[in-house]
Amino acid sequence: MPDFSPDDNKLALKVVFYGPALSGKTTNLMQLHTLLNPERKGELMVLETRDDRTLFFDMLPIGLRGSSGLDLRLKLYTVPGQVQHDSTRKAVLSRADGVVFVADSQPSQQDNNAIAFGNLEENLEKVGLDIDTLPMVVQFNKRDIPGVVPEEELQTTWAGTPWSPLVMASALRGDGVLETFRILLDRLYTIVDDEFHLDADHGISRQAFVDRLSRSNEAEARRA
Amino acid sequence: MRNFEDDPTLNDLLSAEQLSRLNQCLSALCSEPVTLAQARPDTDAMPVEFNLETVGWLTGGASTDERQAASDLVSFLMMFIAKYRLAANLHHDTTEASYAELQRQNDALRASEARYRELSEQLQQRVDEQVSVIKQTQQELYESARLRSVGQLAAGVAHEINNPIGFISSNLRVARDYVKELGELLPEDAANQELLEDFNDLLNESVDGAKRIASIVSDLKTFSSIDQADYTRCNINQLLTSAIHLVQTEYQHQLDILERLEELPEISGHPSRLSQTFFNLLDNAAQAIRDAEPEKGAGRILVKTRVHDNAIEILIQDNGCGIPEDDRPRIFDAFFTSRPVGSGTGLGLTVARDTARAHGGQLQLDSREGTGTRVLMSLPIT
Repeated sequence: MPDFSPDDNKLALKVVFYGPALSGKTTNLMQLHTLLNPERKGELMVLETRDDRTLFFDMLPIGLRGSSGLDLRLKLYTVPGQVQHDSTRKAVLSRADGVVFVADSQPSQQDNNAIAFGNLEENLEKVGLDIDTLPMVVQFNKRDIPGVVPEEELQTTWAGTPWSPLVMASALRGDGVLETFRILLDRLYTIVDDEFHLDADHGISRQAFVDRLSRSNEAEARRA
Repeated sequence: MRNFEDDPTLNDLLSAEQLSRLNQCLSALCSEPVTLAQARPDTDAMPVEFNLETVGWLTGGASTDERQAASDLVSFLMMFIAKYRLAANLHHDTTEASYAELQRQNDALRASEARYRELSEQLQQRVDEQVSVIKQTQQELYESARLRSVGQLAAGVAHEINNPIGFISSNLRVARDYVKELGELLPEDAANQELLEDFNDLLNESVDGAKRIASIVSDLKTFSSIDQADYTRCNINQLLTSAIHLVQTEYQHQLDILERLEELPEISGHPSRLSQTFFNLLDNAAQAIRDAEPEKGAGRILVKTRVHDNAIEILIQDNGCGIPEDDRPRIFDAFFTSRPVGSGTGLGLTVARDTARAHGGQLQLDSREGTGTRVLMSLPIT
């Protein structure tokens, strides 16, 4: 749930990158740190790792200011994907405002995707969130690896869900990472604007919310 | 409660001692002393930012550049302190959550264990109850089989005696006539007269005796009712009278039994079970009188029947020894008896109550120790 402190006129939102182990959640976040150039961007904090596997979580804070002086913060978190870190996943997931589910496109990982998705559903319920109303994007990562499950097959499988169409990505190359993030911002705006009247009270339109938070270095470069 | 992800303040990240040490180190590096504090001072100060958050303010230093450099250094340090702090907080949160979850599971487990224990106790209790029911039924079955065989024997004996006693009494009557005729042929002297009178008396006594045998046989037949195994129309007064005769025989006709039997309709019933019940109740009354204190005066049994509220009421009341209060709750329990071992089965009242219930009626018993006992049995008119 969004954390609004009226004293500081500060609104903090939380987005969690969820998914099976080694699906590229941290890579997504590192790419966002490289690619994004929003008005305000903090340090990417990569917490304790072992053999390049996340033990706690990674966190990247970004933000913008509304015309009313609203200090809007967006904190992007990853969770550890390994099965044994379930209580950590649950703690990070609590009070989330949006979720990016990073799935692995390799055929051998489809079972793990399903297990992780089931785990997400279960943990959301435990922390009092509803998967059907929570803004969420499903990304199939690692499209650069040969022999991945064809996109058409994946899109057909997921066609009947609220998360269709899926976003195809190669986080390692930076493909699809911003697209995923922009779709999430768009879905997140609907919920947040409902409660906090971003447009009416703070002069932040849907377009401004998505563009200003996902402004990239490339776009800057093009503009220059 | 603070969440692990809440933005930390400077005081969260550093203790007062650590902060003062940091200030000393920074001051040593700069050409003028600098001070880092959480609260914003009035003077010219440089914000120290960490994760988009201003965590503190830096004052002092020789120039803005120097303050800026010191501020950047602090921000750089903050990241590592905060990393540790975040990881530690998260670890603390998850450990607490896991512990709470474990405790919840433990409680649930304990509750379910208690439930199972209770269930198993109930089960044991039910098994015990069933076992006692089976035991009782078995005993009753045994008793009723015994009673039945005794009844069969009695009925057989009665049937066999019935014939000879019939011709004995008729022969005796004919013999009495012959003696009369013989007397007319004898010479009339005192010796002959005496002989004849004595002969007559002997025959009369024998006729009386034969009549009594016949009546006992008839009572035995009614009582055993071996030829009426199932429900038939019963004349309660007749069954009662037979039972009274039997009890009288048992007690050498010494009992003072007052009968007040009103006209009753016949009801559907099991004659042998009803007879057995009446006999049991009368036998109890007779024993109560015998066991009463001698100074109480003559014992008496009152047997009354009447029709009341579409039911037949049978009252058997005695002024005997009564039932002690301690025994009263158990008198209907099977095999409960206050009599010496071997003299009572402890089934009398049990069978009586079961019989009353089997006929759709009920049995009520009032007693006072030393005063007497009153049993009221009511059977619906069917």
